[in-house]
Amino acid sequence: MTRRNRVALATVAVLASGSLAACGGAAAEAGGEPQTGGTIIYGHVQEPPCIFGGWIQQAYISRQVLDGLVTLADDGSVQPWLATKWTVSSDGLRYTFTLKDGVKFTDGTPVDAEAVAWNFDLWENKKGNSTAKVSIDPYYKSATAVDATHVQIDLNKPFPLFLTLITQGYFGIQSPTAYKGRSEQENCEKPIGSGGFTVKEWKHGQEVVLAKNPAYNSWPATAKHQGPAIVDEVRWKFVADGVARYASLSTGESHVVYEVPTVNWKDAQSRYQTIRYITPGKPVSFFINTKAGPFTDKLVRQAFAYGADRKAAVEAGFHGVIPYEGNPAVSQATPGYNAEVAKAYAYDPAKAEQLLDQAGWARGANGIRAKDGTPLTIKLVYGAGFIFTQEGATVLQVLQEQWKKVGFDVKLIPATQAEQWGGKYSDPSTFDATPSYWTSPSPSILWIVWRPSLPDSPNGSNRSFYNNDTLSTVIQQANSEPDTAKANALYGQAQQIIQDDAAGVGLYTQNSTYAVARNLKDFWLEKSQGEPVFSDAYFTK
Amino acid sequence: MSAEALAPPRRRLRAVPLPSAGTALALLVVVLVLIAALAPGVLAKGSPTEIDLASTLQAPSWAHPFGTDDAGRDLLTRVIYGARQSLGIGLGATALALLIALSLGFTAALAGGVVDAAITRVLEVAFAFPALLLALLVISVRGPSVATVITAVGIGSAPGYARMVRGQVLAVRQAGYIEAAAALGHSRFAVIRRHLFPNAVRPLVAVATLGIGQSVVWASALSFLGLGVAPPSSEWGALLDAGRLHITTSWWLEILPGVVIVLVALSVTSLGRTLQNLLGGAAR
Amino acid sequence: MSVRRIVFKVVSAVAVMVAAASVTFFAQLAVPGDRATTLMNLQTGQDREWTAEELAPLNERFGFKDPILVQYLHYVGGLFRGDLGTSYTQKRPVTEVIGGQLLPSLTLTVAALAVAWVLALAGTLLTVRRGRVLSSLGAAWEALTASLPHYWVGVVLLVVFSVQLRVFPIIGGTSAWGSVLPVLTLAIPLAGFLGQVTRDEFEQVLQQPFVTTARTRGMSDFGVRLRHVLRHAVLPAITLSGWALGALVAGAVIAENIFGRPGIGQVLVTAVNTRDVPTVSGIVLVVAAIYVVANLLVDLAYAVVDPRLAAGGTR
Repeated sequence: MTRRNRVALATVAVLASGSLAACGGAAAEAGGEPQTGGTIIYGHVQEPPCIFGGWIQQAYISRQVLDGLVTLADDGSVQPWLATKWTVSSDGLRYTFTLKDGVKFTDGTPVDAEAVAWNFDLWENKKGNSTAKVSIDPYYKSATAVDATHVQIDLNKPFPLFLTLITQGYFGIQSPTAYKGRSEQENCEKPIGSGGFTVKEWKHGQEVVLAKNPAYNSWPATAKHQGPAIVDEVRWKFVADGVARYASLSTGESHVVYEVPTVNWKDAQSRYQTIRYITPGKPVSFFINTKAGPFTDKLVRQAFAYGADRKAAVEAGFHGVIPYEGNPAVSQATPGYNAEVAKAYAYDPAKAEQLLDQAGWARGANGIRAKDGTPLTIKLVYGAGFIFTQEGATVLQVLQEQWKKVGFDVKLIPATQAEQWGGKYSDPSTFDATPSYWTSPSPSILWIVWRPSLPDSPNGSNRSFYNNDTLSTVIQQANSEPDTAKANALYGQAQQIIQDDAAGVGLYTQNSTYAVARNLKDFWLEKSQGEPVFSDAYFTK
Repeated sequence: MSAEALAPPRRRLRAVPLPSAGTALALLVVVLVLIAALAPGVLAKGSPTEIDLASTLQAPSWAHPFGTDDAGRDLLTRVIYGARQSLGIGLGATALALLIALSLGFTAALAGGVVDAAITRVLEVAFAFPALLLALLVISVRGPSVATVITAVGIGSAPGYARMVRGQVLAVRQAGYIEAAAALGHSRFAVIRRHLFPNAVRPLVAVATLGIGQSVVWASALSFLGLGVAPPSSEWGALLDAGRLHITTSWWLEILPGVVIVLVALSVTSLGRTLQNLLGGAAR
Repeated sequence: MSVRRIVFKVVSAVAVMVAAASVTFFAQLAVPGDRATTLMNLQTGQDREWTAEELAPLNERFGFKDPILVQYLHYVGGLFRGDLGTSYTQKRPVTEVIGGQLLPSLTLTVAALAVAWVLALAGTLLTVRRGRVLSSLGAAWEALTASLPHYWVGVVLLVVFSVQLRVFPIIGGTSAWGSVLPVLTLAIPLAGFLGQVTRDEFEQVLQQPFVTTARTRGMSDFGVRLRHVLRHAVLPAITLSGWALGALVAGAVIAENIFGRPGIGQVLVTAVNTRDVPTVSGIVLVVAAIYVVANLLVDLAYAVVDPRLAAGGTR
């Protein structure tokens, strides 16, 4: 139950991008003597069912064990990892990767073209990783080993963001020999890759112990040092309670903690190194049900967006730590972000009231508006404790009060994980608005989320039930546009359509916050979705 | 010491758990909470959901005796308005538990034979069933709400009462006066209504009072697990849940609602025990 | 105890366990929401609908579409072979999922129960009928601690003793030192509860004639309390302990949550959330078993301290 954690809604993506990993904390760091060895204790929040999988919690940890073909640099460019270089055919349909020589999985088998092709087949055709699959699904065709060091990926349609998307942890390469030869349980608990660490032990409910891979020779181009991990072990502990997690840093019981409670952020900045990573992809924004209920009327949707001071609510609820995001489609850290779109629907209660009057919703005696005897009740369903932390719940309560003032009767409906995962709130009749996020390093997330839901190809991710053919065409054009500037213009146009129609309402960016002990150096977050990297980290004395 | 020990046992009066001053205090707390539950406006001026982003996380002061929360809401007002739900859950859950317990207990004890054996087995299984799981299951079917919490806590505590009712009924039935009443030609129903029921239920009243306090605590535990009442309700468990992250920075958000829960549970319980002693004394 | 009676006891114990697991099994199937959908959403971190095609492999693998009776018989058949099934989410046998978490949970609950007993007995022995002030203080203390919500105790203990005073580790895990606060979190409210029950009984027994007899024979006050009164007074608390051991699972999940401790409480909550039917049923089976064993021990304890055997203070 744990409760209190957030499930990161998984991801898909297509373009490289710029999100910022700001390193805060005291600039004046005592430069100590670098040490070799030692054990990093990391306080994480949520324990995944398996190390490798399609959930961001799994990407975080499998990144330590598995290497990818390519990685994303801070400037948004795609850089070598297991692949030293690659070529793209002129029609944009064929990618040929050259693999690094002499890399071995930790079971001793080679990381060759055969293995890489097998992994692609596993994700795409054998249910190996549903998020990897949905990321490149409509475009991916096949993977073939040309020779031992060359692997070729064929696409159905040009998709320039393909490279960016495969930098995510969902695309970690595993040993086919180990995968085929071992039990499902072993593959779940101890996947075999060529990464900087191996899973030594998983004490369920407590921690995963990662041991250094002494033979590591396949660090990415973005690594901060050349060579195997400097520390001996990383103890990846699951500490659900925010108070305990943060406090464990002060007693030296941990060296790195994830998800610093925002009330403690200022304190953290003064005492530790801090990292705040704004996740690219869909921010935490409301899906607005356009298929049933009061929000079928665009005017009411717009009134909803105007009717509350979302920016002030976010600043209060998160104590100024987490940025407000007015763009419901993609966050400010996403390439192709349209900053103009984000400015729409600034708090304007008068405008909201006017729109509601215009739409025929008149004030009732209790201040709640009604039309034809139906009160303006909004069922706002949110994942309590996992998508929304307690801090997020405060934001919703502030908004609820403000919406009440313009005549909306907003009912906050906390959904348990069982309810939400079980699909209780997937039907249009069950909710009017629901906030969620979906991390992705690329604006092609727009296609995943906003692809029209058609009878022969339903799109369950389009939770606004918003089918717009123009939007669909624009996003598809963008996805296959080879020129980045032109592609981004198209993505920007798509964001504009979504915002103009108020098919979604922006709220705040999804963030990863970390506090790191001062004597631990070179702990960093990779760019695609903020996966922590421990293989360069070292202690100083 | 030994002089006292050697003295003959004192008369009927069993020691009341709190001295009478304590009982009076407990009574005062219960009365205050009842007022808060029935007419919160009498005790608090403002609204429990009034947001004031200009005065968030303020420490207790004259203006805000319990301080304010992270949306600038007055915590005391929220606690007062939360009484209705918290107490409602306590009462509702206990009432539900008693209802189930009385029907099962009486049926088992009066029907006897196969029915009794069956109900006893069911209770046995129910006892072995973790109450937490029951709560989780009910909540995953119905979603978190006041009604769900009442159902979960009520069903969870029913088996204990049921076993007690059955035992009481059996004991009372064997007492001579029931047979005497039957011999005098009273109908079966009349015997149950006039003799069996009151005598079997009397000890339950006091125990149930203890149960109310426990239910309030239980319900707040569910809130803590994120399974409680929907915001912006200020049910006390929800307040504790909301205050948890702030305990090191704004202690009042976690400590003060906790003190209120303890005070209320303590008061209800000690009144219950006083009642138990009085009733118990009368029965003997 | 006759052989027949022992056989009856064992059979009914097994029946209770299987019944508890079966009820859980059906109760979970009655929960709305499709298991395959839940699993897909869990695997992808989403909350959407999936097409029949996407769900087919999961349905086939776990037999979700089989008639419920077939699923049930399959499950119960496994139970009698000692097979609790395979966790839907963790891909390992449920016996292993639970096995790894059982020890920390048992340690926590048994230790909490033991500490609660020590606290309750100390309170009773030292304060009952020791003058009005001391008696009242003892009673008030018990009433107070019995009213404490577990989690509140846990959070306060954590902040005071781990964060501020740094006496105990914050992430204690299963180490002995790290278990002190979780144990206290569960033990303190329970001690109040047991203490209340014992105190009532203790007061009554103190008035019994045999106590006076023992005293006139020159036994010290403390000796009387310990040797004669206590053994009668603890009976109701012993009964309650059997129940408490099962109920502690619920309290344990809170202690586990706050102190980052492994245990079946946490597993149970996660499993219910992810509709991991075999894991949930398995945990219920184990908790039922603990309950059954605890009650067996309660029966034994009764036999040892039964007042009728010891009445009058002679053996």
